[in-house]
Amino acid sequence: MSWEIAIERAITNSVPKVYKILEEYPYILELAKKLREAKMKVLSNLEEYIEQTLNAVKRTGGNAYFVHDGNEARELVGKLVGKGKIVVMGKSMVAYELGIRKYLISLGNEVWETDLGEFLIQLSDEPPSHIIAPAVHLTKERIAKLLKEKLGFDVSENSTHEELAQKVRDFLRNKFFSANIGITGANAVAADTGSIVLVENEGNIRMSTVIPLVHIAITGVDKIVPTFHDAVIEALVQAAYAGHYPPTYINITSGPSSTADIERKRVSPAQGPKEFHLILVDNGRIEASKDEILREALLCIRCGRCHFHCPVYRVLGSAWGDPPYSGPMGAMWSYIVYKDPKPAMYCTHSGNCKDVCPMKINIPKVLEYIKYLGNKSA
Amino acid sequence: MLGKLIYENLQKYGFPYPVDKKICSGWAKDIPKNSSTIIYTSCMHQTASLSEFYSKLTPLAEKLSPFFFLGKLIRPKKEELDRAYLILNKIANLLKKNGIEFGYLYEEEPYSGAILLELGYLDEFKSYAKQVYEFFKNKGIKKIITVDPHTHHALKRYSEFIQFDIEVVNYLELIKDAKGLANDIFVVHDSCLYSRFLNLRDTYRNIINKSGIKIVEDELITGKDTAYCCGSPIKSVNPELSEKIAKARVEQLKRLSKNILVVCPMCYASLSKYAENIKDLAEVIE
Repeated sequence: MSWEIAIERAITNSVPKVYKILEEYPYILELAKKLREAKMKVLSNLEEYIEQTLNAVKRTGGNAYFVHDGNEARELVGKLVGKGKIVVMGKSMVAYELGIRKYLISLGNEVWETDLGEFLIQLSDEPPSHIIAPAVHLTKERIAKLLKEKLGFDVSENSTHEELAQKVRDFLRNKFFSANIGITGANAVAADTGSIVLVENEGNIRMSTVIPLVHIAITGVDKIVPTFHDAVIEALVQAAYAGHYPPTYINITSGPSSTADIERKRVSPAQGPKEFHLILVDNGRIEASKDEILREALLCIRCGRCHFHCPVYRVLGSAWGDPPYSGPMGAMWSYIVYKDPKPAMYCTHSGNCKDVCPMKINIPKVLEYIKYLGNKSA
Repeated sequence: MLGKLIYENLQKYGFPYPVDKKICSGWAKDIPKNSSTIIYTSCMHQTASLSEFYSKLTPLAEKLSPFFFLGKLIRPKKEELDRAYLILNKIANLLKKNGIEFGYLYEEEPYSGAILLELGYLDEFKSYAKQVYEFFKNKGIKKIITVDPHTHHALKRYSEFIQFDIEVVNYLELIKDAKGLANDIFVVHDSCLYSRFLNLRDTYRNIINKSGIKIVEDELITGKDTAYCCGSPIKSVNPELSEKIAKARVEQLKRLSKNILVVCPMCYASLSKYAENIKDLAEVIE
């Protein structure tokens, strides 16, 4: 099955779903509007909000760090993880952006992506083709072949979708329970309470954040919102526009697990991790936040809806943009984090993206501006 | 730099690439020259069929620039030009029938600068827009009637870059009544700019519906935020990708009808390669 057929099916499945969700739960539109305002508040004053967030996380008993770039991020994660550990990762595009998984493996750790799509991407060693559906380009038959070849699973091209998912579940279950460290991203980080919010449907993030003794969340500073309330709103809005509402799980983490059930003395851990670490990543975001037009790109909540409405993505797929960022949002983000203006040049300004964006980002205008910056520096 | 080359061509030839300006004005005969309201073609309909040829030259443009005067010899095919002239005359007649009076600048008509804007040469666009504005001002132009989306969009955005106080309307906004000339059932391929940037999607759908022409819609193919682009805007960046987008778009449209209706000369130029029956709206109404 070619990319054309795969993407056609994904569009036919996904696009009407989002329309239906927005019709059935019209309050989402209102929440999206509020979220835009809340995020804008942070982006207009990002450095102060970073400070506030770091302090809030420390108040919960967690550790919080700010890193400027990929080098600093890898060094820090490497220090926190060490060597010879088993690491489970919940899908994090920022971790991909920073090359965390490969770096940890190079240090001598056993690292597993636990989101099914991301797990398949790890096995195939290909770039993700969509921000929330990373393996949208792989067919069932290819997936079976991959699982058999790479992990020796007893599957064939006749295996059903259910059988394939079950095999991966069995395999990863062992990894979750033997993992020393769980690494996730964050959909939103609350500046007032230091809580992180993660939205998902597979349950892998819940496992990654609760079972290992250490939880490291690594995310961009653009994910900071003023309040805990805003952070929960972001999870709802992201899920709705991603086409799965209600989301199966919304995970909230505010520091390490603890209990005070013995004589009211608080001890940690209880059943969850003993350590919680939040790493806030700059990597071009702060600079972008200071530019009135580029700042808009930082509003992106990674729902992946713009991809499915874009004529260029439909033809090019993940070849458009610098991994893990593809599609219209990826053309913006390729510039923000890698300073690469080339993907923007492919924008045909069809404008569908701006019309379907929950944050009302005028993506073609941002891309027009990146074209301009690219032309100027050429 | 491509932007600089285009800008230089604009100074030399009054167009992004060298063309004989007679090609641009050849369609008009009896339209007065002096009028404060003008029909403004920006030579888009007349030269759209050359866009493919020039986009293939773009990567070589800088090396070839000393020979670009040869471009003056390049003309659209006769049938393409006849078709463009017919469309422009039909638009002019539709306007007249709707009681609109207007003039035309013939060979003096400048290009809008749209390509600079769309390729992200914003500084060049700004200084070019200033020239165009001053030219219009000196001619006493108070109102401009555009006939294609790229020109309309460029002019509507002038005020973001320069002080601009000339009224800009699109011909579709001025047509209250038109009669349909075709019995086929059409699928509309929307202009991205008209539909999602200039708020004219309903304007031409109303004209079509009132004219009696039947169209077929599908939420995932002709919806306001699902209808795809024809690929034309990136022809000069990546001709191959542009072609693929055009081909995929026609395949989609054909699922609804083999008769395709467009409202933009660039869409026509891109899609007509793959479509047997494709018409501009102006060709099927009067």
